[in-house]
Amino acid sequence: MGAGIAGNYLAYQMRRPFVAAKKNEEERGTLQRKNAKQIREGLQELRGPVMKLGQALSMQTHMLNAEAIEELAGLQMQAPPMHPTLMRAQFKSAFGKYPDEVFRSFELEPFAASSFGQVHWAVTKRGEEVAVKIQYPAIRETVKKDFQMLRTASFLARVTGHLSEPVVAEVQRGILEETDYRKEAQNLEYFGKQLKPLGFVHVPTPYFELSYENVVTMSRMKGLRMQEFLQTNPSPELRDKIGVNLSNLFFYQLFKVGALHADPHPGNYLFNQDGTISLVDFGCVKYLKPEVVRCYAQFWSREWVHNAPLYAEITKVIFGPQFSPRDTRVRRCMNDIRTFYDEFHPLTRTTETLELADPKFMAGLDRLLRALPKNKFISPEFVFLSRTELGMCNLLHTLKARVPMTQIVRQWMPQTYADKAQSKVL
Amino acid sequence: MKTTRAKPKDEKKPSGKRDRNKEKTKQQILAAALELFRKHGLEGTTTKQISQKSKIAEGTLFNYFKTKEDLALYFFQKETSDLIKWFAKEERLQKAPLPEKLFAIIHRQLEYITPYEDFIGAVFFRSLQAHSKLSPLSLESQELRLKYLRFVRDVLQQAEENEEIPRVGEMGAYAVGLFYVGIVMHWLHDGSEGKQKTLALLDRSLNLATKVLKKGGWDW
Ligand SMILES: Nc1ncnc2c1ncn2[C@@H]1O[C@H](COP(=O)(O)OP(=O)(O)O)[C@@H](O)[C@H]1O
Repeated sequence: MGAGIAGNYLAYQMRRPFVAAKKNEEERGTLQRKNAKQIREGLQELRGPVMKLGQALSMQTHMLNAEAIEELAGLQMQAPPMHPTLMRAQFKSAFGKYPDEVFRSFELEPFAASSFGQVHWAVTKRGEEVAVKIQYPAIRETVKKDFQMLRTASFLARVTGHLSEPVVAEVQRGILEETDYRKEAQNLEYFGKQLKPLGFVHVPTPYFELSYENVVTMSRMKGLRMQEFLQTNPSPELRDKIGVNLSNLFFYQLFKVGALHADPHPGNYLFNQDGTISLVDFGCVKYLKPEVVRCYAQFWSREWVHNAPLYAEITKVIFGPQFSPRDTRVRRCMNDIRTFYDEFHPLTRTTETLELADPKFMAGLDRLLRALPKNKFISPEFVFLSRTELGMCNLLHTLKARVPMTQIVRQWMPQTYADKAQSKVL
Repeated sequence: MKTTRAKPKDEKKPSGKRDRNKEKTKQQILAAALELFRKHGLEGTTTKQISQKSKIAEGTLFNYFKTKEDLALYFFQKETSDLIKWFAKEERLQKAPLPEKLFAIIHRQLEYITPYEDFIGAVFFRSLQAHSKLSPLSLESQELRLKYLRFVRDVLQQAEENEEIPRVGEMGAYAVGLFYVGIVMHWLHDGSEGKQKTLALLDRSLNLATKVLKKGGWDW
């Protein structure tokens, strides 16, 4: 893979002085597309954790163009499966004992696959039902090795400034952190505590004494995945209730916790007949910068539309200080987002419900998300935020729920911004 | 897998009380020696120490094992017969795919030698010397090697019959034997926690080899 990508860049660099400016732009477009395809194929060949890098890279919107991002966002990390003998050996390398010595019972066949390994059902000696997530051996070493390889491969790319070392280092740090399951156990404890006031979210309880760097034990959660849940023909009331809960969950995390369960993968939400939601997978948690949360609220209140200093402040957070608020790209982007919010988060209709089954909503959201990556300069934190929001909207859309979205946002957002939005309307 | 190993006996059924006693003494000596090897290494352990620890007179000791290498050879004989007996009892494994079977066999061998890592390292070093009894080319180690190869050959033959792999014949067993030596080398050098790197290498190379055999065939 190395020579492939580097070679492309090399060819491009060598020809660069000779191509006209416009043509240069075009060439770069093709090049990035070609590169993204090669990166994807290369990563798939590696079948290592670096696959996750594809996902992570796809969030670095300032590095790649829209097509390249599309290409990479599709990558899902998947460790090779472990047969029972390997699983037991790996378990023993952490516990010093075999599963049947530690648990009352332990299912040899995995229940689900996970990014770095697999999930098994078990019952503790005290009789509690648990899920045990076991990592494929030496994942961390593989991640480090893959990144070494990537660094050599992207060396020339780095020279051109498209794949800066800090970005690569940051992505590597993030992935390595995700491979430490003790960190996940801590996240579980933190979110369990933080989300408790909501009352309708179940977070697995971690078993610290049964968790290591590459094995994590947590309580087994009840509930059905979206598709299974829909097959039970839930009533419209139940679907609305779950929809409301999901929306509350998102905005509560954003405004009250300041951190997001960051993997909107549908398998991570389990739904129960009483309308409660079980949330699993806290390997990837995004702690948001306070100014990003504040900026979201400020944006939502739409006060900036008639307030030039506030507008300048917001664009600084979203786009970075190097961009002038008067830059046409910045203006266009802000208007795109605003059009969407005016249509679907209208400040005037505070109690009206949002019909998420309405194809118009998804089309609008789709338009917005397509528009965003075109503005390559938008801050990754916001791209990330909108992705998570899109994940929630997708769930609501599949549920065909009706949700009083404006009311919900207002409920959790800091009072000052909610008030400002209110006064705007009156 | 049970952690308590079936009491290993010598393959040739001891015919009488004399033989049984002899066997018991041999095991007594081996147990004492292994403990000393673990503490002082193969080279650092003296005959005198083994004699004291096993409570067998130095002169008598010589009747059982002429050299430390004979002791090491005896260790591996027991390891192999223990392995074969264990495998025969593992019902789930009998039905498992070939890569898992081979993984289980090699992993079991690694577990057996885990408490004696230094000793194994020293044995490895010795076995490279041309005149060592431990050398795979020596007459003394032939019987042991053949026993292991026959065992592996049986496992491979079953996979051939199930059409998991094409016919690999004797060569397949030799290849597995060589592979095992390589894995032990890797294992000795593996500083990762719980020797995880060796687990990953073992799993991935066995899967790869099986896949390659399936795809490419083998026409000998
Ligand atoms: N505590 C749990 N209770 C029930 N199901 C679980 C639990 N933990 C994980 N799962 C199931 O296993 C799947 C994979 O686990 P996950 O934590 O998402 O792995 P990863 O994030 O490493 O890919 C989840 O999508 C979920 O369906």
